[in-house]
Amino acid sequence: MAGSVVLMVGTAKGMFSFQSDLQRKNWKMTGPLLPGWEVSAIHVDGVNGDRRIYAGTTHYSYGATIRASDDMGKTWQQMEARPTYAPEKGFKTTRFWQLASNPHQPGMLYAGIDEAGLFISKDRAQSWEEVKSLSDTPDRAGWAPGNGGLCLHTILFDRENPKRMWVGISAVGIFRSDDAGNTWKDCTSGLHKMESGMQDKPQICCIHKIVQDPKDTGTLYCQHHPGVYKSLNAGDTWEPIEEGLPGNFGFPMVVSKSGNLFVVPLETEEHRYVKNGKFQIYRSTNSGKSWQPCVKGFPAEPTFAGVLRDSMTGDGLKEGGVYLGTTSGEIFHTRDDGDSWSKIDGVFPRILCVRAYVFDDANQPAKKPQAKTKAGARRIKVK
Amino acid sequence: MNIEVTVPGLLADSVGGKRKFSIDAKTIGQAIETLRREHPLLKVHIYDDADQIRQHVLVYYNDESIKWIDDLKRPVKSGDRIAIIQAVSGG
Repeated sequence: MAGSVVLMVGTAKGMFSFQSDLQRKNWKMTGPLLPGWEVSAIHVDGVNGDRRIYAGTTHYSYGATIRASDDMGKTWQQMEARPTYAPEKGFKTTRFWQLASNPHQPGMLYAGIDEAGLFISKDRAQSWEEVKSLSDTPDRAGWAPGNGGLCLHTILFDRENPKRMWVGISAVGIFRSDDAGNTWKDCTSGLHKMESGMQDKPQICCIHKIVQDPKDTGTLYCQHHPGVYKSLNAGDTWEPIEEGLPGNFGFPMVVSKSGNLFVVPLETEEHRYVKNGKFQIYRSTNSGKSWQPCVKGFPAEPTFAGVLRDSMTGDGLKEGGVYLGTTSGEIFHTRDDGDSWSKIDGVFPRILCVRAYVFDDANQPAKKPQAKTKAGARRIKVK
Repeated sequence: MNIEVTVPGLLADSVGGKRKFSIDAKTIGQAIETLRREHPLLKVHIYDDADQIRQHVLVYYNDESIKWIDDLKRPVKSGDRIAIIQAVSGG
């Protein structure tokens, strides 16, 4: 088969890239890239065209900037511009949670940041513009950070309707725009509300991840702080889908190309590691009607790790590829839509985000390389 | 006056890949302003959104933190040093 799959893993101390052919059995690791930086968001724009990797990087002491690579991570350019609010707003840019391209408007790059806001760049991250229609919403004064911060962590574009998109904000809720971002509608009807303690917004929905069904664009699924939900009307209303789950608290949610759903139930919000010290994720093969554990290939020994909201992803291939990285730095993946799982060799720093891309070609020529960081490479075998 | 500036390795790509470079200034304040103007990426990493020096970043003029220096109009001498360092941040 021609082509390649590239798995990009952002960690608390740099980024690692893994490349394989479409069989996804053997992986060649490159990294660490951007060593020392927290890589909290990764996005490849122009997957099979004018390819560029964007990475949202943060450091506890030095703050957050965006970096870009035009040669698949061999060299990086730190972008001078970054999404920032007008000074009079008083909001900070502390972290980049999501970078995404609008599939209907090539060249439109979106950033979801902490403190929660949505930004657009039309010039490959040379400049950024705040989507004020979202952050100037009347109840903005009542937005307050949760444990992970005040983060806009999900940007979801409708595959068919170029004017429709959703964003998810922790400890705030879900918003949908049907007019390309000019106005936004609260889409939390039916989701369990939580007390915020804020006078301006006393009840909130703490959204952890939202995904769209691959066959029906009006069907959404959501891992909420207190529950797993489904919407059949693009987010207007939600209903719980938890039959068979050992618990309803978790962070990531993925839907594979076939429509299989994956979640990682954790012990309660106080504990935040997998249930009963046994690493397993749950799959639904019937659009959320019921869930079953996936255990084949996961470690039998006691495991007390979790999976963060952006640390599970699919590759979109027909032979369902799903990948996850744990808080203890291990990477697992399935090549058969969840029937069995394999560990990719190595233990890495705490994994913050995982992205998988399928490239038509294995070696896209580098574009405008700018020598900065060099990284070693070695072969990785799947156990 | 020629002032030698050093930055941590993590910030080298904010100043063209160097750990050490020189700037020209007559006063401490002028040196800081030159750094901010000529190296905007370094500025992002040293200063927060409120334009205050980040809590865990120290900017030293010779052996003094510039936070302790009241008179930034103080003249500098050739060979003086400015060092950007990470403050002890736990661990």
